[in-house]
Amino acid sequence: MAIMISIPAGITANQASTETLTQNLSDTITQTEATINQTLTQIDCTLAPNFEGFGFAPPDMGDSSFVPPDDGSRFVPPEFGGGFRPGEFGGGAFGRGGTTAMNETLYSDISSVENVAAVALALEASEGTEQTMEMMGRSFTRLIPDYVIKGVSLTSDLVGNYPILPTNITDGRNLQAGDSGVVLLSENNTAFFNAGVGDTVEILDQSFTVIGVYGSSGVEDVMTLYMNLSDAQSVTNNTGYITSLTVFADSSDVVTEVATAISSLHPELSVTTGQQRLDQLEAMKTNYQTALENAESTVAQTQSVAVQEIIVAVAATSLIVMFVMLYTVRERTKEIGTLKAIGFSNWTVMSQFMLEGVFLSLIAGVVGIAIASVAAPALSGLLLPAVAQGTFGRGFTSVANPETTVAITLTPELILLALGAAVLLGTLGSLYPAWRASRTRPAEAMRYE
Amino acid sequence: MSEAVLKLENLSKAYSLGKRSVQALSNLNLQVNKGEFVAIMGPSGSGKTTLLNVLGCLDKPTGGRVLLDEVDVTKLPEKELYKIRSSKIGFVFQTFNLLPYLNARENVELPMEGTKKSKSERKRRASELLGMVGLSGREEHRPQRLSAGEQQRVAIARALANDPAIILADEPTGNLDSKNKYEIVRLLANLNINQGTTIIMVTHDSQMASQTERLFFLNDGKITKEKQGRHLAKKKLTCPYCGSRTQLGDAICPSCKKRL
Repeated sequence: MAIMISIPAGITANQASTETLTQNLSDTITQTEATINQTLTQIDCTLAPNFEGFGFAPPDMGDSSFVPPDDGSRFVPPEFGGGFRPGEFGGGAFGRGGTTAMNETLYSDISSVENVAAVALALEASEGTEQTMEMMGRSFTRLIPDYVIKGVSLTSDLVGNYPILPTNITDGRNLQAGDSGVVLLSENNTAFFNAGVGDTVEILDQSFTVIGVYGSSGVEDVMTLYMNLSDAQSVTNNTGYITSLTVFADSSDVVTEVATAISSLHPELSVTTGQQRLDQLEAMKTNYQTALENAESTVAQTQSVAVQEIIVAVAATSLIVMFVMLYTVRERTKEIGTLKAIGFSNWTVMSQFMLEGVFLSLIAGVVGIAIASVAAPALSGLLLPAVAQGTFGRGFTSVANPETTVAITLTPELILLALGAAVLLGTLGSLYPAWRASRTRPAEAMRYE
Repeated sequence: MSEAVLKLENLSKAYSLGKRSVQALSNLNLQVNKGEFVAIMGPSGSGKTTLLNVLGCLDKPTGGRVLLDEVDVTKLPEKELYKIRSSKIGFVFQTFNLLPYLNARENVELPMEGTKKSKSERKRRASELLGMVGLSGREEHRPQRLSAGEQQRVAIARALANDPAIILADEPTGNLDSKNKYEIVRLLANLNINQGTTIIMVTHDSQMASQTERLFFLNDGKITKEKQGRHLAKKKLTCPYCGSRTQLGDAICPSCKKRL
């Protein structure tokens, strides 16, 4: 009985979690599409080749403009081996596999390319704790980021005109042209630094004043804090280096030409246009779709497993009731014989035993409900595959994470259903034994000791 | 000629044991009149129990007729038979067969379930019957708290519940000590005399059988001998201790002064 109650509860919970997941994923896609449509004139240039989605940056670029970080450098790719970061599309960090620093002076010629309206330089670096893990006999060092520093060129022609900064300021103000020594935190950063607007935070031993706080644009937790490019370069000991160039074309019509021009000028650069990013989004959508299908197939699997388990439980319950009642009937043959001898009809005897079976089963039902109300999560967890985090890629996990806790509740409907099932199974299970009892010939029953 | 309550005509009953057929009763003819107290005696295997089962509509004969109150019960289907068992026959068993989870009164009320009697009527009737068998004040006792003799009294009260035409007693004294044996037979005799209850008692105890009015000896499925009972015809009973005659209803034997 406990099983019979826990399983439907588990299914409902799984379905609910899948629904939340679906909602989250489609929300993310919608938001991303909107962001990209706003920035169709945007071209992202990084040194690292774009691995679409997952992967590691190749260790050696074999490229003259590749600048290996020197010893003092704080340069760390923001998310080593990371996956999607759907919330950061506006920042231009889409689909990055790893980032390599490049000398900003090498790229001053880009602004003179025809139809280029503006060039925004940015330096991005993650700060956190390194963790070494063993994998297939090799050890990898992975950074668990606490926060990501992003330095953007705060020049008057860029700030306010181009989407280089987050827009949804929840506290304080956004960064302005010429700001220095100040930092714009994400809501997550405020928790990490335990600081708010007006407070001073220590970033790599330098003090910055929190000027504002922005809310996360997507569903994902954003860890990026924004500051002036020169501040970022000095604080990470990367003076003169950047990790990305964001080029804004005059109009969306000429984006492809500008991108081609930049590519031919600097073949080592990975150039991504809004259109390409849209394409990538399409690919990502497909990925999401796959993830969703996985989730749905898990739910379907859950249901088929649940159906099997319920069938087994139902069969077991009715068999148990049947055997118990058969035993009872056998044990009480003499009593049945007596009852029949003193004038009880077959029907009376049969209904008597049916009633007993139903009552027995009903008690079992009540006990089952009591057990299930305590043990349902554990039981359904044991018996059913859950829509787990592991079903999705790492990038998705963060999307799915907040809601994947499977909440199992016993609704009154479920309890009523269980009691109904108990009565039904009791009836079913005691049908044959009761019939046997009613068929008992009193003459035989009398001699039964 | 007194009125026949039970009439057996050429009654036969055969069992098949594997390939072998056993003739338990063969062409048995018997008539029991209203108000009679008869005993059926015979060694084991003589067909006593078979006969009683057939009489009690617990078993179907393979031939012949059983007329109970002029109704041929052998022709009745099972769904009619239970009514006959309920209203026309009262059973007393060797092993008492009381329901252990019901008290004395509830056991007596049991056959009245399914009748038109109201709950309070049943209760009143059950108490009255328990009083009649000498168990007033023990109504609420469960069978395990009653002695064997008392349990059999409850069973007799239960058999009387629906005012049956006949009482069929299958070795009613078989599980009792000698004192209780006499008490139970006296009780049955009393009921026979005072209430006019027709009683058929199956026993292999000749002492008990001799307390009745008529005795039938059963052997190999046939009635081989019929005998006049000793004293019931004279409405007298014999003291089990000294053998002298006592009046029905006497609590103490007038000659040896022992408690009956």
